[in-house]
Amino acid sequence: MGMTSKISRFLAVAGVVFGLTPALAQAQGTTISGHVTGAGGAPVVGASVSIPTLRVGAFTDDAGSYSFTVPASANGTTITVIARRLGFQPSSATVPLTGAPVTQNFSLSATATELQGVVVTALGESREKSRLGTAQQQLSTTELNETKTQNVVNSIQGKVSGVTITGSGTQGGSTRILLRGANSITGNNSPLFIVDGVAVSNASRGTTQVGGWDFGSAISDINPEDIATMSVLKGPNAAAIYGSRAANGVIIMTTKKGANSGGGMRTEVSSTYTWESPSILPSFQNLYGQGSGGQFEFVDGQNGGNCDGCDQSFGPKLDGRLIAQFTSPKDANGNLIPIPWVAHPDNVDSYFNSGHTLSNTVSFSGGTDRANARMSFGSDQITGYIPNNSFHKTNALLNATLKINDRLSSDASLQYVRNNALNRPGVGYTTSALEGFLWFGRQVDMTALKNGYNENATLNNGPPDREFNWNYNYHNNPFWLANDNPEADNRDRFIGNVSATYKLAEGLDANLRTGSDIYRYVINQDFSHGDVRAGTIVNPAYAGGFINLNDYNNENTTDLTLRLNRALNSHFQIDAVGGAATRRSTYNFNSVQTGGLTVPDIYNVGNAAITPTLGQTLQRRQTNSAYGSADLTINNWWTIGGTARNDWSSTLPVGSNSYFYPSASTAIVLTDMLPSLKNRWLSYAKVRASTAKVGADADPYLLRTTYTGLSTKYGGLPQFTLADALANGGLLPEITHSNEAGAELSFLDGRITFDGSIYSKYTENQIFSAPISSTTGFTTKSINAGKITNKGQEFLLGVTPISTGGGFNWNSVFNYGHNKSLVAELSPGVTTLNLGSNGFDARVEARLDHPYGAIMGNRWLRDSQGRLIVTAGGLPQRDPSCAGYQCYLGTVQPQWTGGWGNTFSYKAFRLYGLLDFHEGGRLMSTTNMWGDNTGVLSRTIKGREADWNNPGVVVDGVHADGSPNTTAVNPETYWQCVSYNCGQVVEDYVYDASYTKLRELSLSFEVPHSMANRFNASAISLGITGRNLKTWTKVPNIDPEFSYQTGNNQGIEDFVLPNARVWGFNVRITP
Amino acid sequence: MINKTILRVGSAVALALTAYGCNNDKITALNKNPNSPEDVPPGPLFTEAARLTTSRWFGAIDLRAHEWVVQQLAEVQYDDEDRYIRVHATDTEGTWNGAYSSELKDLTQIIAKGQASGDAGIYAPAVALRTLGFDFITDAWGGAPYTEALKGDSVGSSLTPAYDTQQAIYASFFASLDKASTDLVGASNALGSADPIYGGSPAAWQKFINSLRARLAMRISNKDLPLATAQLAAAMAAPGGLILSNADNAYFPWPGDGVYNNPWSDNLKGRDDWRMSWTLVDSIMKPLNDPRLPIYAQPAASPGPNGPYHGAQNGIVAILPPGGVLEPLNTTSRPGSIFYPGATTYGPVLGRTGSSLPTAILTAAEMNFILAEAAERGMIAGGAGAAATYYNAGITASMNQWNDLAQSNGQSITAGQTAGYLAQASIVYQGGTAGLMQIAREKYVALYTDGGNAWFEWRRTCVPVQIRLVPDNDPAVTTVPRRWEYPTTEATANGVSLAAAITGQGTDNLMTQLWWDTKTAATCS
Repeated sequence: MGMTSKISRFLAVAGVVFGLTPALAQAQGTTISGHVTGAGGAPVVGASVSIPTLRVGAFTDDAGSYSFTVPASANGTTITVIARRLGFQPSSATVPLTGAPVTQNFSLSATATELQGVVVTALGESREKSRLGTAQQQLSTTELNETKTQNVVNSIQGKVSGVTITGSGTQGGSTRILLRGANSITGNNSPLFIVDGVAVSNASRGTTQVGGWDFGSAISDINPEDIATMSVLKGPNAAAIYGSRAANGVIIMTTKKGANSGGGMRTEVSSTYTWESPSILPSFQNLYGQGSGGQFEFVDGQNGGNCDGCDQSFGPKLDGRLIAQFTSPKDANGNLIPIPWVAHPDNVDSYFNSGHTLSNTVSFSGGTDRANARMSFGSDQITGYIPNNSFHKTNALLNATLKINDRLSSDASLQYVRNNALNRPGVGYTTSALEGFLWFGRQVDMTALKNGYNENATLNNGPPDREFNWNYNYHNNPFWLANDNPEADNRDRFIGNVSATYKLAEGLDANLRTGSDIYRYVINQDFSHGDVRAGTIVNPAYAGGFINLNDYNNENTTDLTLRLNRALNSHFQIDAVGGAATRRSTYNFNSVQTGGLTVPDIYNVGNAAITPTLGQTLQRRQTNSAYGSADLTINNWWTIGGTARNDWSSTLPVGSNSYFYPSASTAIVLTDMLPSLKNRWLSYAKVRASTAKVGADADPYLLRTTYTGLSTKYGGLPQFTLADALANGGLLPEITHSNEAGAELSFLDGRITFDGSIYSKYTENQIFSAPISSTTGFTTKSINAGKITNKGQEFLLGVTPISTGGGFNWNSVFNYGHNKSLVAELSPGVTTLNLGSNGFDARVEARLDHPYGAIMGNRWLRDSQGRLIVTAGGLPQRDPSCAGYQCYLGTVQPQWTGGWGNTFSYKAFRLYGLLDFHEGGRLMSTTNMWGDNTGVLSRTIKGREADWNNPGVVVDGVHADGSPNTTAVNPETYWQCVSYNCGQVVEDYVYDASYTKLRELSLSFEVPHSMANRFNASAISLGITGRNLKTWTKVPNIDPEFSYQTGNNQGIEDFVLPNARVWGFNVRITP
Repeated sequence: MINKTILRVGSAVALALTAYGCNNDKITALNKNPNSPEDVPPGPLFTEAARLTTSRWFGAIDLRAHEWVVQQLAEVQYDDEDRYIRVHATDTEGTWNGAYSSELKDLTQIIAKGQASGDAGIYAPAVALRTLGFDFITDAWGGAPYTEALKGDSVGSSLTPAYDTQQAIYASFFASLDKASTDLVGASNALGSADPIYGGSPAAWQKFINSLRARLAMRISNKDLPLATAQLAAAMAAPGGLILSNADNAYFPWPGDGVYNNPWSDNLKGRDDWRMSWTLVDSIMKPLNDPRLPIYAQPAASPGPNGPYHGAQNGIVAILPPGGVLEPLNTTSRPGSIFYPGATTYGPVLGRTGSSLPTAILTAAEMNFILAEAAERGMIAGGAGAAATYYNAGITASMNQWNDLAQSNGQSITAGQTAGYLAQASIVYQGGTAGLMQIAREKYVALYTDGGNAWFEWRRTCVPVQIRLVPDNDPAVTTVPRRWEYPTTEATANGVSLAAAITGQGTDNLMTQLWWDTKTAATCS
């Protein structure tokens, strides 16, 4: 639903909502119009231009134009017109009103942050920020598109306080976003996304650390170029009106709309081209090749030779000695001829390509005062840094407004998105490309693998039906995996809504709206014969296999609202909304898979040689709601607000399926209440406070225990098993409580601004699957229990250190968020819940009285002085008290996150840089663990500086009797011990997860106005951009920023591909 | 006018909301699960439970431990199980949790359904498989939730079932098997083809139930000889008798259709981690010229000085003495080609029929060895003479069993080979303690592919004596494991009950000996 357009229309028609002034002034008033521009003449969209004394005004459209008419009654006076926009210093002009049209242009200079202005808040209501009793931060299209990313969530990294965003590492992967910490122990902690008033899915088809493909999160379908504003409503306080799913905060996006262009057409173009490469790769050793115990000889790559089935690099020294290898030529008898045993230091690096992204958005808009529209086409063409990886996205958006008569108007928005991905990078132990390079021979020649992946293994005496490779026991040729086992997926999505607004009376509107987010997502994973990855479905007796997954998701919301915006008299202003809504969602999933095909290359169920396994799930749910919200503003400086909502949910038992939750807030502008507070230092001061409750329902079908049938028949016979999850017919709604307070201060006429909050919230009666003893016959039971408390502070500090008349401007914005999530209660008798594991004795838990996201695992046995106690053999050993995940190794929660953005502008040039901080917290790195175990990492040279077993490693420790250890152990034994073999101790692989990233850097240039005009444009900007250019971290070998999905299973790294370093170039043409 | 409008609109909204509230009970109809039923007939539950019981306890992959600990198989390259590194609570708990939450629960549902309809043909086979599954649990872990287990949160049960002692569990085993065998008299074949093992035959299940009872009786014979003797006698006297002929063996037939395959073949098709253990091949079968060896094992890819059949030393992979040289992996034997499907990812097409090789659950060979031991120890009549007869019958049954299984793989054991084996001086029954050791050794060889029972029997008898602590073992494990550690999930979700069980049983580590395990660990390993 077109919020901005509705606002524009409303304002254009009714005037800014402050007064009783009749909207449809018939008299020949003065029409004031013009452009509002920013640095270099770029249009400022969404700026408010108004005459406060007369309470009339308008917002600027996409082109930065505005127009409004002052009632004839004011003719003959001289008034002050003010242009304001968040992020800019206000500008004013004096205009005499004569009845003749006036053109008044404004040029605004950017400020670091701005505390006053109009923002979009819950239900798309446009409000003065000074009247909000809750914390929210708004970003403009410019701020979002400083540098181009495919996922709009990535665009806000480092820009909003109190928000934790973790990029996936892989291109097109899932990005996790958390506002003010996790509320739910095992459930959804993602904020609710609203686009033009309709909830849109951010479903993640992510994966576990163990392996699979990360299919990204659905919000990435939204084209960042189409977003006009994005408001982040951080706490449940700001969001109570959206219902259950707002407990984790709400992100409200409005898309760009058309405007009255007098019938003309406006065209906007944005074009970006970027290059991507892995930002961090492990540091490998190049002194020892494949093998074990210093031995290696290739005969057939499948244990026919001495360790030619091995996949570690504890083999002979790479000193040029002659050894038969997988690349050896054959002699007359077909045996492989020894060739020089040498390193290929760039063998992993050379696997990766340089990625390329071409992003284009073209939009057209125009209309009259009765009807206007904007349509846009967007396209992303991405070639990833992994071989054969591509990603194509097409967006089309049409927003239209039709004013049928003076009372009735209608808005419609239709967005179509198509995503096509090919060969998404695998993640985790079984599927990541990096797994094949951590279990690796350091002598392997990557060029030979690249050139030979289409060849047969008989080339080097391997198995006759395999692809040419360096090892046939445990590995596939990485290029064969990329090219002959393509993963392909596509999502077709419609997001649309239609609404009608009827003006019942002045200041009172009724609105009926229905909107849906509908998508079908199809994933095809094809496997060729010969796939040997752990857990593969492929049966080597057949010609390959496939998995086909098919999701259909449909969420519809229909609501009827009444809005009242009225000044009761000169002292009281009331803004109220009341409404009722129905939300229906349907999720339908079908899958087909088989591990055996009859004929190669036909990935169709008709070609299945092994009975296919089928899957089918249908989920439906409905929530009905009634809600209301009211804000009373007194004397323009004190606002008291409240919200109330009642939900009825289909997923809760009759008797408990109705739940009510209220909120209250207040805001006081101290500098307006007591004007004497204002002085040359303090220009603005506001305090606010709020308290809220938000209820939430359960997932569907948790009330009755059922039997699960298997689609595969045993010899034709059906099979059933009673589900492992025990149902609970007595579930109650869960409730989140939240309190917050904040202050907004402005000094030196906005040169320094501060917007800070403190908050405290907790969710109780959580509905979750509590683990129960499997000896009951069930592994989980749905219960109401548990409590997570979140306490934190956040602030946004803006400073304009330099602003010269000569056009030089430096703005600096720093944001900071500290949040502490504590697991205060779990279910009775339960002390911990497993959130995820890498399968190797490290896991992340919700553990009672610990920070949420506790890394648990084994530690080394130490004496009272902290020295390692070694075994008689000279090896460290596991602290037995840690057995069974009993030792706490730190939390994945950062101590604080923040961002520091700096903008330097001089005339037409603008330089922007953003540092993103993640301070504190821990992570566990499986890449480092296995890299030690296999001897490929550069540090595993320790102990074999001279030769494969020489000089050995003397562990710095003591024996049980306190005597110092002097025993040298074989380096292979040592590295395998510390990484895994000596009790799976993960202590050494838990790192301080702190990092600082140079997240964004851009240098842009605004083409002179005169030249832009020659191209029929108001502004043309050219820029060079960069993302993830530099990472400062103590974590070795990996990118410390990673996520596999948007769920709670975070903090354990497992062969994650690094986030891309991106360089690019962009052009933007504004009409 | 405006106030009127507000009033009008307000009333309309109030009315609409009232209507809403009234309709809200109806939306709960949406919450009836359209994907899964709330009740099903017993047959499909039985098929699933029988399959899971077999793959869980005879799969050699779920637990990845029994066959290695008892040194029938050895690991190459990744020898974590061999060295007791990857056999701790977090590695073995999946087996415990899976057994309870899958087939044991479903079998309990079947028993309830069968008892409700008074149909022993349904519930007695389920009692038999439930007892078999619970026996693996108690023999591998010790005391376990039994009486209070598998009841969910139904009225009167907690979510924290108490542990029964191993002794109490065995007592209950005997009682329920006794009743099941008796109830089957005159019962109808109610399961029919839904029973993959015996096609629902009540007579066949009687033999199975009695034989399982005999196995359990012998297992406790060192701890409670009178009870063992009485139970063995009762098992033999129970209606239906014992499995003493291969025709009555309990086999789980695998379709080998790519979906349901013999679990060994499923592992071997994609992984080349397994070799024969030196203990079974070099220290026992080769010196005895065992004709089963070419079926159990295949010749090394590149035979070394030890000849074509050669086992790998358990845990030897990690040993790298200064200047030491690893024995090349290609000189050791893989498991027999009979276990291999028609193709593997890593190379040679080693066998053809492994995916449909039936899994032996309970055999005539084992029953004969139990009776041989019983006769030698005077638990049944006949003395050494009868012991020798049963001993020879056990060996012959095992030879014939493997001959039968190997036919599909183009292999065989001739009657002449069996006779030749029996005629060897070292095989001829010697009676007394030496005889008991012969019986136990032959049982160990015959139990190949049932590593669990081979391990339990080694703990009971200390035979074969060649089983020793591996080199470079996990320092926390100081004897060959004699049980598994309780699951970490029990510590977190059933902690009080577990703590009480540990108090009664002994430290929760791999070395604590269970109730029936009376040999001193020092003599055993």
